[in-house]
Amino acid sequence: MSGIMYLARSSDPKVLEKAESGGAVTSLLRFLLETGKVDGVVTAKARNGNRYAGVPVLITEPEELIDSAGSLHCSIPNIPRFVKEYLDGAMKMKLAVVGKPCDIRALIELQKREQIDLDNLILIGLNCTGTISPTTAKQMFIDEFKVNPNEVIREDIDEGKLLVMLEDGTTKSLDLMKLEEKGYGRRENCRRCEINIPIFADLACGKWGTEDEEERATFIEACSDKGRLLVEEAIERGFITAERPDKKSIKKREEKDNAEKELAELWKERDFKPILDLDLSKRLEYWLNEFNKCIKCYGCRDACPICFCDHCLLEASRGFLEGGEIPPDTVFPLTRLAHVADSCVNCGQCQDACPMDLPLSKLFSLLNARLNEVFGYMPGIDVDQKQPLSAVIMEELQVEDTFLDISSINKALQSKSSKRD
Amino acid sequence: MIKYEQTICPYCSCGCGIYLTLKDGKIIGQEPWNEHPINEGGNCPKGRNAYQFLYAEDRLKTPLIRKKGKLVKASWDEAFDLITSKLKEAGPNEFGLLASGKNTNEDAYVEQKFTRVVMKTNNVEYCGRLCHSSTAAGLGPTVGSGVMPISQLDIEKADCFLLVGINPSETFPMMTRRILRAKKKGAKVIVLDPRNTVTARELGDVHLQLEPGTDVAVINAMMKIILDEEVENKEFIESRTTGFEALRDHLTNLDLLEMKEISGVATKDVKKAARWFAKARTGCVLYNQGLNQHITGSDGIKALATLALITGQYGRPGTGLCPTRGQINGEGTGDMGCLNVFYPGFQKVGTGAHEKFEKLWGVEDLPANPGLPYTKMIQQTKYLWVIGTNPMMAAPDIDNVQKDLEDKELLIVQDIFPTETAQLADIVLPASTWVEREGIHAYVDRRVQKINQIIDPPGEAKPDWWIICQIAERMGHKAQFDFSSPGEIFEEIRRCVPPYKGITYERLENTVGGIQWPCPAEDHPGTSTFFTQKFNTPDGLGHLQVVNFQPPAELPDAEYPYILTTGRSIFHYHTGTMSRRTPKLDAEVPSGFFQINPKDATKENIKRGTKVVLTTRRGSIEAEAHVTNEVPEGLVFLPFHFSEACANKITNPVLDPACGMPEYKVCAVRMEVSK
Repeated sequence: MSGIMYLARSSDPKVLEKAESGGAVTSLLRFLLETGKVDGVVTAKARNGNRYAGVPVLITEPEELIDSAGSLHCSIPNIPRFVKEYLDGAMKMKLAVVGKPCDIRALIELQKREQIDLDNLILIGLNCTGTISPTTAKQMFIDEFKVNPNEVIREDIDEGKLLVMLEDGTTKSLDLMKLEEKGYGRRENCRRCEINIPIFADLACGKWGTEDEEERATFIEACSDKGRLLVEEAIERGFITAERPDKKSIKKREEKDNAEKELAELWKERDFKPILDLDLSKRLEYWLNEFNKCIKCYGCRDACPICFCDHCLLEASRGFLEGGEIPPDTVFPLTRLAHVADSCVNCGQCQDACPMDLPLSKLFSLLNARLNEVFGYMPGIDVDQKQPLSAVIMEELQVEDTFLDISSINKALQSKSSKRD
Repeated sequence: MIKYEQTICPYCSCGCGIYLTLKDGKIIGQEPWNEHPINEGGNCPKGRNAYQFLYAEDRLKTPLIRKKGKLVKASWDEAFDLITSKLKEAGPNEFGLLASGKNTNEDAYVEQKFTRVVMKTNNVEYCGRLCHSSTAAGLGPTVGSGVMPISQLDIEKADCFLLVGINPSETFPMMTRRILRAKKKGAKVIVLDPRNTVTARELGDVHLQLEPGTDVAVINAMMKIILDEEVENKEFIESRTTGFEALRDHLTNLDLLEMKEISGVATKDVKKAARWFAKARTGCVLYNQGLNQHITGSDGIKALATLALITGQYGRPGTGLCPTRGQINGEGTGDMGCLNVFYPGFQKVGTGAHEKFEKLWGVEDLPANPGLPYTKMIQQTKYLWVIGTNPMMAAPDIDNVQKDLEDKELLIVQDIFPTETAQLADIVLPASTWVEREGIHAYVDRRVQKINQIIDPPGEAKPDWWIICQIAERMGHKAQFDFSSPGEIFEEIRRCVPPYKGITYERLENTVGGIQWPCPAEDHPGTSTFFTQKFNTPDGLGHLQVVNFQPPAELPDAEYPYILTTGRSIFHYHTGTMSRRTPKLDAEVPSGFFQINPKDATKENIKRGTKVVLTTRRGSIEAEAHVTNEVPEGLVFLPFHFSEACANKITNPVLDPACGMPEYKVCAVRMEVSK
């Protein structure tokens, strides 16, 4: 089911000037702050103006919002962790959170684990076709684009091209696939990501579908009542103007989304196939060889937006694992896998934080894809759908076979319920 | 309000970036700084737990003065008055100052200047004496400079690695990351280590598991094989080196069988390693304490550099001998001249350096003769000022160190915790550290990065430079120590230390990953690779060295049948001052232990966890046994982080005559199960 769609524009000329599309997100946030509907806005901001150092920030003054306008493709701020770890999961304040699809999905998973209070959050999702690690981006700008990374003022990923705009107004664009084949381009997890439009947020905002507009606009899909009310009120109060997109515009958005999804499937095939082609003992050997590089820094656990235990089982003080050993017992990565693989939202933060370059995101998303098939579960999409490894269905309890085929049980159940409907 | 502030990890010298999360002036967490080129968002266990030590309960917060045998709280003025009156009584060369590999360049610069200008002596040293003095003595005559000649980033360009006495997977994990990347592209890794470390196991393609202290025998054998098989780089030898004939004669007379007898390494493995290294396009040598800390440490380094020279593995990105500094400012404190034989910028004592600095500093009578090295200074000075270093854990033969320190007319200890050394002090001064003050450090590859002050120091703790300047002023030298900020000190450093001339605070603020010295001008990008055209020797050539194998000073006998060697764990840092006050690191390895081979353990009736008394000719300590194949038969490994099982109570204080490096890596030991 799709929500109500808008082509929106900020009513503030200053915002329009700085914004990449219609500036509607910045003005919606301003509306929320000025009217006291939220206590703060969580978004990413280029630290000291540095595009490669985008960090999560809590903004409480409307005037500061303008600094966070525009997207940062070459930063990888961990928004959901910021909300969970440093803002007490929004348990005591009302927040608007702006995030990429994976950020929003992580927040929804955290709600399932009761680590945040979604009632206090307005989720403003941004379309995303991927981000680039800052070190990779800078090297790529020097090696391939032949530009000084400090002179880049904007990037965009569109129709298979990576485009950069420089201080002097010139632009350069290169074929993204070719860059990625050379090891540049987007992060691995982003290449494989098929979720570009965050329709599970309250609002899904982006510029797809606005290409034919004479004046730049923001395409907004209100995916919840909360989202729709927000847009309507902001229009009413004059913070934004909006019209309904025509069919052509909606179709364009769909086509762009589909093209990116197809590309993601290609990358999945490329990344997963060599592993799946290995026989099981070789596959095990491959992973054990990777695990043996682990130096037990806990960086993956700490970066994981879904992990939340205050006193983690894997800590040396718990006595579950022998302390002081590297590599730690294989139980270390496997426990992490058991705890969060079903909920993995493919944000890639674990792999980014790994000092030994372990292909963690690949492992988690590969396993997650398998689990999805079995349980028909997609993490971070629907707050009412419980994660399968923690929600046992009655049918599972009644089966005595340890090696039960859950996937066929699920399918049988689904067909039963659809017949009932 | 929550803020992310950038800083650099306070542990080893890789210089990894981290974000500290700040709330109301207090650090409440840390986050990956993905943009930093050294670590790209990853950190090792210590780096992931970088800040907790700052908030340990027993931080020093006020000056302390010993009264009736007890250290009691005092005011800064009281401490300054007492220090000034005592130091004014010090005779020529009775004063000494031990600086730290953890202080900033600005601190270190002021510390050596105080020693030279106010106390008129070159008795200024730092812990570099105990980790890389053999590097200076070994590489100086060979290639003319004891610094890392490349950028860390270029390590991953190598296609062959020679890791000598280094366990980077535990001590420099970010270097291991780059080796792993190179291995993915097919690079070979040769590991020379008596222990079967995690590095040897996980990175090594061939492990030359030599008898401790026999590095020279193995390296000479490699060179002999290379010449015998004519895989040396003739063109490089011809155009860039001198001394080849003497080397050839020396190697011709060597017997590979004898080398095998000495080192215990199979000749076929040495051959494999020699061929790989000689034929590599880019051969990278990383080495550390396992090579350095011997009475023949400087010999080993000379031989190793000679091996790199005859194979042409120098002067290109990724090549050459890389000494790996263990401290954030292990390089910088030396750069600033906290060494008994060097004025700032490695301007050697006795070569007119004092006259140059008399002009620069506007003073007279600067000392022209070398001062005492670290361990001698502990023994021979009457007035000792110890700043951010802990000889009661770090120097060899601690019982004698204690006697010497207790005998001092005045012992000032300036630190952040009541360390084992501070317990003996007459006066204890509380220092601020890391992000409690501002300043620059030079990391392992001469990479200069700036630390900004992010939080307030605890209590009345003050920056090291400020404390020194206060005393200098009271000693009548305000004119030379009239600094009101680290920035002012840095401007003087830029004037007096040529490699730093082009580096400014502003440039460092805007350059993620810092600038590698030498940087001669403000528009110069810094220097990542050394020796591209010539070496830093007077004639510009690499000087091939002839080195003979000599055994370690103290080998096992009937009374002390095992070899004891010391080292580090990934979860702890040096003398434990910081890491043992970090709950998560402490939980990983909470107490002192030693490693013993299963066969030896059976022989001695030792199991995992057995308390064992280790005795050498210096004394005894008790530690818990870890039974593991990580050590071969006959070898016992003891980390030096733990005061309750203090390794250096029993290590041998015998020194490398060329540089004053103690032989921490080999002495004879016996074991008895505790009763």
